[in-house]
Amino acid sequence: MARKGIAHIYSSFNNIIITITDSTGAETVTKCSGGMVTKSAKDEGSPYVAMRVAQVAAEAALEKGFDNVNVLIRGKGGKKGGTPGRGAQTAIRSLVRAGLKIGTIEDVTPHPHDGCKPKGGKRGRRI
Amino acid sequence: MAKARARTTTRKTKDKWKAKTWYQIAAPSLFNNVLVAETLAESPDSLIGRITQVSLQDLTNDFRKSHIKLLFKVDKVEQTTAHTQFTGHVLTSDYLRRMVRRRKSRVDGTFTVETRDGAILHVKPFAITEKRIQSSQKKLIREVMKDTIAKEGSSKTMNAFIRDCLDGKIGSEIYKHCKIYYPVKRIEINKTEVERGPTVVIEEEPPKPPEETKPAEAPAAPEAPAPEEPAPAAPELPSEPAAPELEAPAKEPETPAEEEITAETTEDEPKKKAKPKAKKAKKTEEEPQA
Repeated sequence: MARKGIAHIYSSFNNIIITITDSTGAETVTKCSGGMVTKSAKDEGSPYVAMRVAQVAAEAALEKGFDNVNVLIRGKGGKKGGTPGRGAQTAIRSLVRAGLKIGTIEDVTPHPHDGCKPKGGKRGRRI
Repeated sequence: MAKARARTTTRKTKDKWKAKTWYQIAAPSLFNNVLVAETLAESPDSLIGRITQVSLQDLTNDFRKSHIKLLFKVDKVEQTTAHTQFTGHVLTSDYLRRMVRRRKSRVDGTFTVETRDGAILHVKPFAITEKRIQSSQKKLIREVMKDTIAKEGSSKTMNAFIRDCLDGKIGSEIYKHCKIYYPVKRIEINKTEVERGPTVVIEEEPPKPPEETKPAEAPAAPEAPAPEEPAPAAPELPSEPAAPELEAPAKEPETPAEEEITAETTEDEPKKKAKPKAKKAKKTEEEPQA
């Protein structure tokens, strides 16, 4: 029962969402997000919550016979910035800890090929 | 509240999950119909149109090809096997980003080509030059790309053309011709997209010779216990005739791209660790090399 899936990790500054699907991405095996493991909204994007989210997702995936995943990781993307959030690294680490084998890790953040002007005006955000 | 809702949804999906059956996804004939993935569905109809992404490394066992992703789209289901069509390939974004550096130029192009068997392909090569170049030189390089792709594409079948793209033969062909204008460091086909599949069925030329030679061996074989020899030669790939073909071109690009080997052996080590930290370390490792 060595099924191969894809772990889609969406990690923004304020939240983390992990969706594990089959290899075509059409069938969802399990999903989990920051709000499902914590009650305070400010913690949803934190590394600790990311760890818990990954554990919950990985356990559910292992139960359904998926023990191999390719990780696709993405941040906010677009004009809102390119790098994945602060929970991304811990999420992957705890997927490994939970017993999933990781094939490849790829950053799939959508980058603009020059699109809209980012928010903040010409001189940036002034506080 | 949220927890209760979550529980009900999981219960629902579990019931649906059990009702679904598993299907094996087979690669297109171009890749010898190897089973590449599994998927599950309630009915076989819902499988059609699904796209799976496979790394070329998985198909050829060549770790230097791990940055090439192939897209297979399901078009036909027989019992529990889903047959697929090749819909294109992409290079991984981190591989592309590694190539692009300061004080170097990147030349892109998008070309449409009609192959000998009537397939329409979008081919997107990209080149990195040794130094920063003028836009007139970029224009010349782009022209060379256009000419070679048009020439190679229109004289070959779709399968043969795609095989050449993946092996880097088209890239080295472009390299040969644009050397006159400016030394180019690296040329690869960044992306192909199949807009229309082949309309005419043309028997491919490259697969024929092995087929012809094999029957010739076969009659001679019964005298000596030789017929089992071809089978162990291709243990990973089930169908025999095209197997040597895929293996042979995989070895060839060693000579044109020697840097590639060094660059990617370093890449492979951190991948085993499978941690993002390792990924970052890889980036820092490579910068001193350049």
